[in-house]
Amino acid sequence: MDRSRFFLRVFFSLQLAGLLLADQFLLADELDRFNRVVRPILAKHCFACHGRDEEARQADLRLDLRDSAVEGGAIKPGFPDQSEMVIRIDSKDANVVMPPPDSGGKLTAAESLALKQWIAEGAKYASHWSFTPPTRPDVPGDNSWSSHPIDRFIHAKILTHNLSPNAVAEPFELLRRVALDLTGLPPTQVQANAFLSNPSDEAYEALVDDLLGSDAYGEHWARMWLDLARYADTKGYEKDRERTIWRYRDWVIQAFNSDQPFDQFTFDQLAGDLIANANAEQVLATAFHRNTMENDEGGTDDEEFRVAAVKDRVDTTMQVWMGLTAGCAKCHSHKYDPISQVDYYQLFAFFNQTEDSDRSPPTVASPTVAQRTALDQLDGELMQLQSRFQNPRNGFDEAIAVWMKSFETTPLWVPLVKSDFHSEHDLQLNQDEAGEFSVEAELPEKDTWILTLDLPVGTQPLTSLRIDTRPKKSDGKWPDKNVALRELTVEIIDSDLQPSLIKLKNPRADFSQKGWEVTRAIDGNFDAGWAFSPKASDAHCAIFDFAEPIERKEGRRIRLTLEQEYGQGLLLDEFLVSTSVHPINWLRPDLDAATGLSDVFRREVFPATMQLAEKISTNRDAIKRLRSQVPNIPIMRELAAGKRRETRVHIRGNFLDQSDLVSPAVPSAFGALPEGSLQDRLGVARWLMHESNPLTARVAVNRLWSKIFGKGLVETEEDFGTQGSYPTHPDLLDWLAVEFRENGWSRKQLLKKIVLSKTYQQSAAFTDHKLAIDPRNDWLSRGPRFRLSAEMVRDQALAVSGLLTTKLGGPSVMPPQPDGIWKTTYSGEKWKNATGPDRYRRAIYTYKKRTSPYPAMTTFDSGSGEVCQIRRIRTNTPLQALVTLNDVAFLEAAGALSVRMTSSSNRLTQQIAEGIRMTLYRDATSGEVDRLEMLYQSLDFDSTQKERMLAAAGLDSGDPRMIALANVLLNLDEFLTKP
Amino acid sequence: MNTLPISLQKVRAETRRHFFGKAGMGFGAMALSSLLNSDSSAEQQGVSLPAKVKSVIYLHMAGSPSQLELFENKPALGRLHNTECPQEYLEGKRFAFIKGVPKMLGSQCEFKQHGENGQWVSNHLPHLTKVIDDLCIIRSMHTEQFNHSPAQLFMQTGNSLLGYPSMGSWVTYGLGSENKDLPGFVVLSSGGKTPSAGKSLWGSGFLPTVYQGVQCRTDGGDPILFLSNPDGLSRKSRRKTLDAISDLNRFQHEKVGDPETLTRISQYELAFRMQVSVPEVMDISRESQKTLDLYGAKPGYISEAESAADPRRLYKSDDPTFANNCLLARRLVENGVRFVQLYDWGWDHHGSSLGESIDETLPIKTSQIDQSIAALITDLKQRGLFDETLIIWGGEFGRTPMMQNNVNKELKPGFIGRDHHPHAFTMWMAGGGIKPGMLGQTDELGYYIAENPVSVRDLQATILHQLGINPHEFNFPYQGLDQRLIGPTDEGSVLHDILA
Repeated sequence: MDRSRFFLRVFFSLQLAGLLLADQFLLADELDRFNRVVRPILAKHCFACHGRDEEARQADLRLDLRDSAVEGGAIKPGFPDQSEMVIRIDSKDANVVMPPPDSGGKLTAAESLALKQWIAEGAKYASHWSFTPPTRPDVPGDNSWSSHPIDRFIHAKILTHNLSPNAVAEPFELLRRVALDLTGLPPTQVQANAFLSNPSDEAYEALVDDLLGSDAYGEHWARMWLDLARYADTKGYEKDRERTIWRYRDWVIQAFNSDQPFDQFTFDQLAGDLIANANAEQVLATAFHRNTMENDEGGTDDEEFRVAAVKDRVDTTMQVWMGLTAGCAKCHSHKYDPISQVDYYQLFAFFNQTEDSDRSPPTVASPTVAQRTALDQLDGELMQLQSRFQNPRNGFDEAIAVWMKSFETTPLWVPLVKSDFHSEHDLQLNQDEAGEFSVEAELPEKDTWILTLDLPVGTQPLTSLRIDTRPKKSDGKWPDKNVALRELTVEIIDSDLQPSLIKLKNPRADFSQKGWEVTRAIDGNFDAGWAFSPKASDAHCAIFDFAEPIERKEGRRIRLTLEQEYGQGLLLDEFLVSTSVHPINWLRPDLDAATGLSDVFRREVFPATMQLAEKISTNRDAIKRLRSQVPNIPIMRELAAGKRRETRVHIRGNFLDQSDLVSPAVPSAFGALPEGSLQDRLGVARWLMHESNPLTARVAVNRLWSKIFGKGLVETEEDFGTQGSYPTHPDLLDWLAVEFRENGWSRKQLLKKIVLSKTYQQSAAFTDHKLAIDPRNDWLSRGPRFRLSAEMVRDQALAVSGLLTTKLGGPSVMPPQPDGIWKTTYSGEKWKNATGPDRYRRAIYTYKKRTSPYPAMTTFDSGSGEVCQIRRIRTNTPLQALVTLNDVAFLEAAGALSVRMTSSSNRLTQQIAEGIRMTLYRDATSGEVDRLEMLYQSLDFDSTQKERMLAAAGLDSGDPRMIALANVLLNLDEFLTKP
Repeated sequence: MNTLPISLQKVRAETRRHFFGKAGMGFGAMALSSLLNSDSSAEQQGVSLPAKVKSVIYLHMAGSPSQLELFENKPALGRLHNTECPQEYLEGKRFAFIKGVPKMLGSQCEFKQHGENGQWVSNHLPHLTKVIDDLCIIRSMHTEQFNHSPAQLFMQTGNSLLGYPSMGSWVTYGLGSENKDLPGFVVLSSGGKTPSAGKSLWGSGFLPTVYQGVQCRTDGGDPILFLSNPDGLSRKSRRKTLDAISDLNRFQHEKVGDPETLTRISQYELAFRMQVSVPEVMDISRESQKTLDLYGAKPGYISEAESAADPRRLYKSDDPTFANNCLLARRLVENGVRFVQLYDWGWDHHGSSLGESIDETLPIKTSQIDQSIAALITDLKQRGLFDETLIIWGGEFGRTPMMQNNVNKELKPGFIGRDHHPHAFTMWMAGGGIKPGMLGQTDELGYYIAENPVSVRDLQATILHQLGINPHEFNFPYQGLDQRLIGPTDEGSVLHDILA
């Protein structure tokens, strides 16, 4: 008996584990054997010390490279008994045996035999399957079951495993299954009627097209992506404050609904800001990597958490697109996959150049479609109004000419003439012909002036006072050319009477110094006044209206007291004082008084333009209000050229302990940036999507496949590396990957292809034979049947009861959750149970707080959005039963469903049958009707219980027994499970 | 092939269907004995040591109490009181809030030695001194994190970032629960807030969600969310509806044959049983008055602080919420719950705002816990549960020997506080297999550890070890690494010195 047959016999004599191992060994072709059986054993037991990690490597031996293993004598191809590795594994000597006893590892008998078999066959190595780009494999020729390529791949494996495919599922099952898979909702009545009345292949395809074309499709499939994007409505960590980022969620929904090709979808999210002429939506898409957590806790180091966020971006990018776990290379070179620590930080360097640093900015105003439309309309109206305002018709030109001419007889401002002047320092104040005052001598340090002025000629009452200051002389003792008019008071002096104080109002100036606003010159307080640093060397003007217009009187004068006691010579030097008789709304603090008169005429005088001005103002208010409602969404923005960070390797992942400088590069085992790419995130995105990238397309199709079939062709969706599981159908995976890429990365087309396969359409029925041979349905000889996701469980109940609000997008909502769930330190944010339509939105719109996610959702395995969640592990727990039995959302759904059942017929049996039709889309069996009728008859509610039951179900009136029946229907295994 | 041995893959596939267990046998035990054909897999899993204890009660004082007012008697610090901190302690250090050169702060309490071991304990913990000979006090704890959220996560999950399974999840993943009608990992909180890191502290991370901690609420609502039937639906009626659900599900199973349907039927039955078993175990009014008095517990008491926006100002020294939780902890382990985690919030005594000071708030908080913790130990002993239970007490880090000075530069009553201190702090352990006594010392100011430093990973390793789990072997493959509670490197080791 030759050696290998001996080993195989021993194989078969082993227990379960050995059987499966041998099974795989025999089924695999020679090169596959290394990848499927041998490498995982070596990876598990040997590579940690004899693999890639140069720092952990022992005895300078690598078992991941054939040359090293053979040269070192560890493996002697063809001769297991002479191979040091085998000798060591079999050794009983604690000093010799491998793996060392203290490592905790130990090969099983089956593993050890597999290694021996492989060495006996020549110890052939092969590169890891997923690191070679996929090529389109030949479709198996056998089309006896179906001509669909997917089915031909699947059928081949079914036959190999001594199975046979199931028949097509019943129409009602297919209907529910495909609707739930493509939209996350049960079919609409219209869809159901159309298909069930004529369940032909054509009708099925039409149904699929209809489902793929609905808004609900994007709302369902976006969820998968949001898990990967670690989307949440809060920032995480202690404070866990709100973060407004729901526009990104809506972007993802829209991207799915418009079937944005996966490559463009990738470019936008990873590097939308770097794309030439990027539009607002592309920039919004970069919020993908702003979903990282931020720590607002007091005293935290922003740099520490910025670095943590950037690492998360690197890890998430590699996980999401390439299905590789780069994370461990933060601290040391990856022990199993070709990502060294230097590789990691080279990749990190691409992502280390954005502006954000554990704080919200940079953000971008990101209006919703409705807001954008409204803003566009208002902006358009505004432009029109402004144009009409600037170019008025209907006699405007004539009217303004007449108006302007009137100032020739009654000037806007008339300078006043000095009648008396008093200075505490006996200064002299000269006045020239134009009315300009100037101080003759050197200014004192401080002074208070009393300046008495004659009123101008005329009869109209005076409305306003104006002071113009001219730039001060540049020579002189005081270097500061500012003026500090700390207080101005004005009195009227009639010859026979005591001076009386005049009240001033509406102080305004062309410019005021901060803290020295012109109002402070008339506030009755000396501590500040009007000044104009840093524009001290310019001319300025200030206007003060008289609270009551000053009537003319024979011999009447006004007296100004100008308190300028600040010091440092901050006194007026050359200035002018004038008054006006015109309406105060014509008088503006323009240096050149005539400037703006035409605007004054438009706004204050000419009726047609006055109306327009009012409309413009209303319009501007509306724009302002709307803009304040536009959400500001955090986005990625590259640092300016001069501010770019340098990246170093972080020793053992510690950002405070940095060593060698690295430059940006992709991991060398996976090629280089595509030609023509810049060294930036966009380059990384192009590298991910390039046809030479071996992983991206495989990872993407596997993910879609897993959502449909409950398990990926590669079960470890999160790990396509050497530690991950081997594909059940490697050829099919590659075929789908190439198909996806060559079909323009269309997810809708790929999904359509999958659901049109017979594989997908099989009945889910189990047989003992199938259960025994293939309990996990690896070979897909039956249709996929598994519990709906957290979101679908909720959405379906709302949909069949008629409660569901079908509104697309918008801010996240707070459907009822039990009181007291949120008790987050100091945030002060509160959960407010929604009333009205927001109470019944789809689960994707439920507010997600990272430290306290919606309990009904997490009970059904949804994540908290803290980190990228590649795969949800499905559980089946009593806590789930409690949710669907007792949570108010499901009670209200039962209430609404009971009303529908009651109103469907006068007969109880009919009502029950209708309930089953509405929830399960099929005829009830007589056994079911009898059983539920029996339940109905056995239930008993007294009047208090009735009232309470109705209230719990959100009803004013109704039948509590029917609510209980509806509650039963919403808890059936068949209802909670994809058929 | 998967990365797990095939036999374990099968176990995984099975276990994800189960929440608690089957017919009186712990689910973990079931998973690891009845389903495994190959014994070696159990060894690889790391659950192979003889267990010293069956259950854990972990008392986490969220915010981190000051060791210098409880267990660390430092006369030298007292002598330096109100003088500037020596420069050698400040260079190259990062603090959360301390600015510039702070002043030293002597202990704001009296210390005396107690018990056979002469343990130094402050006057804030008079009841604890009565059971002091049952404790092993570790005065040389240190951690890597100095902010609450990451430090709590590090303590409870072994990683300062979010997304890793908590200790309780690891333990129930490994061992399951002893009671088929109760969750294996229960969390109780008091102090008016959930701890800083939120529910992630009892999350299951990458482990299946069945292993996440179940928060039992004691504030008047359902003890477990959605446990109560809707108002108006009697238990009898619920029974009838569940019978109908079961029957219809059986029809479905006859038609399709999916074993998962049978699991669902049994989970609905379990839910029905829990509707009774959980309120029962959570009902402390079933305890004798003597027991209630021992703990200072008051059934049905709902503290004002529990619903306040800022509970710190409402703390009262006779608030029995924590005492109630201690009594519940005993009831839970008595009923086979594997891991009971108490979080008490309000221990972050910076002295920078009202209700968070060493001089005024700390004594209030200690009177809330002192009697009940001593009672818990006494009660466990008199019921013979002490030897099969491991009790752990501590915060997420310590507090500085300097006063915090960012708000008040000088000592001011009601505003005396200390900043976060990761370099040295005190925790204690008690119960089965723990040798009473002490481990480790700090320097004369209590700033650095002087001997026998104990890391968080050492503590975690020791806890697993006491439960019969090898901390180095016990793992779950995720993200290319055999993930462990004690982290990827082997720096953590079991504290054999404190084991009996």
